Amino acid sequence: MDSLTWGVVVVALLLGVAWYLSYSAARLDRLHTRAEGALSALDAQLVRRAEATLELANSGALDPASALMLAAAASESLEAHNERALEDDLLDGQSFGAREVLESDLTESLQAALTADVVADLRGGEADALGSSSLQRVEAAGVRVQLARRFLNDAVTDVQRVRRKWVVRWFRLAGHADLPRTVEFDDELPPAVRD
Amino acid sequence: MRIGIVCPYSFDVPGGVQFHVRDLAEHFLGQGHHASVLAPADEDTPLPSYVESVGRAVPVRYNGSVARLNFGPLTAARVGRWLEAGDFDVVHIHEPVTPSIALLALWSAEGPVVATFHTSNLRSRAMQAAYPLLRPSLEKINGRIAVSEDARRTVTTHLGGDAVVIPNGVNVSRFADAVPAEKWTGTESAPTIAFLGRIDEPRKGLPVLAAAMPAVLAKHPGARVLVAGPGDVEAARERLDPAVAAATEFLGMVSDEDKAVLLSSVDLYVAPHTGGESFGIVLVEAMSAGAPVVASNLPAFVRVLDGGQAGATFANEDGADLARQLLRLLADRGERERLGEAGHRRAWVFDWSVVAEDVMAVYDTVTHGSEDARSDPAADTRWTRLLRGRRGGDD
Repeated sequence: MDSLTWGVVVVALLLGVAWYLSYSAARLDRLHTRAEGALSALDAQLVRRAEATLELANSGALDPASALMLAAAASESLEAHNERALEDDLLDGQSFGAREVLESDLTESLQAALTADVVADLRGGEADALGSSSLQRVEAAGVRVQLARRFLNDAVTDVQRVRRKWVVRWFRLAGHADLPRTVEFDDELPPAVRD
Repeated sequence: MRIGIVCPYSFDVPGGVQFHVRDLAEHFLGQGHHASVLAPADEDTPLPSYVESVGRAVPVRYNGSVARLNFGPLTAARVGRWLEAGDFDVVHIHEPVTPSIALLALWSAEGPVVATFHTSNLRSRAMQAAYPLLRPSLEKINGRIAVSEDARRTVTTHLGGDAVVIPNGVNVSRFADAVPAEKWTGTESAPTIAFLGRIDEPRKGLPVLAAAMPAVLAKHPGARVLVAGPGDVEAARERLDPAVAAATEFLGMVSDEDKAVLLSSVDLYVAPHTGGESFGIVLVEAMSAGAPVVASNLPAFVRVLDGGQAGATFANEDGADLARQLLRLLADRGERERLGEAGHRRAWVFDWSVVAEDVMAVYDTVTHGSEDARSDPAADTRWTRLLRGRRGGDD
């Protein structure tokens, strides 16, 4: 082969490699965007759940002991959110702080407070419209927390898998972004609420 | 909210996925959302105003049935135009792993994507062969829904990750309000048994019912089997035992209204499906209409029937066991009424009002995430901005 043919072959190969690199980078970028979006969705739903829980606690429809327990768990969750609110990139170094424990605690408090009798009472009492409407909001937010966490973990698993690929590791396509981790906490709704 | 729904199966023929898509779209339209459905259909098929056709579908064997699918560059361009013109907040793709507009839509979608998996048997060999090609597209899905635990298991084994289970919805009151028709109503001496589904597709189970019928006819010579579903009637009749053929009426493809009337008239509804069903929406329809259900013990069916509380089950593909269940129920009117009522109560769990709310929660979750991630252009480096600009072209 003459040198011209060699030149063409080399250029074609380089173009192919360049295309593959930019394709892989775009794919990874899209996955990171998805994981970031899912994380901020989870964050927002957790705030909504905590706010709805506070509202329920302050509605006067619960006994004072349950109300205090819920309010304590919900405000801890909100505080943890506010401490991190100024960080612009949630995914950077993310282990979700120590929030997993706080959110599990809130879930547990909701399960303890919202027994079958209490839920029936809240839903039945027409006079206490505030109680039943805030219970509805707690339920809606709780469902969305479950969805958001599952979607986030799906996205994180995808990111982790693509970041294991040799092309991503060799060419450092991930840049400085930390490897995201799945977020694990108890988000089960109180059984009485889900029925 | 602007919702774009993609249905890979043709609207010319009835099918579980098509009905699911139609009912979902109508429910959201009724709630004041904007919904548009993209689906294949023949040119002369009358379509609801919210359905846009991508053209005629080609019949192909896929997933054990004859599916009518669309592919090719022309179709891809149409899908792209629909996505662009729709400017959707969320694109909801049904059966994303079919070689059809579902995959094409996933390929060109840019915004939040929700995917619903209906099937419980993604064929693993085909999947493995095409996997490296599909993977980057599948990564675009923000939220995965499975219509049943079985469908969810398929997703987790074949695709990894997880999916939330949101069952199929049924318009319960449409079936509950149907007025029984005399021609299909059974009597003490001539009870009626209904079967629904394609008659030339063995996995819908007509041969199992045919095997059970001689024993039933021996006890109840006047019993009638009413078969509603498309397919070659003459060929089906020939495959039947002459006595069974004489007791069988083929109604052909029935309208939705007639289906509701049929199910509310008959003494028993039989679902002898032998496999490949991940949910069994017909069961819920029969239960809504108050028909006592006798179904094969597929895991999906047993779950719909609340572990057998809301309907009778028999050993799958076992005509003799089906005959035993049919004879037991035909002899006991009280038990039939009890099952009918239990089924009707159970059916409300699957009503669209409940199901669509769960789907909306998924939309809320995925759209929130994407808005937030997008509204942060400062986080983009010049490199990622450059790539994002080209993204539509290079993947």
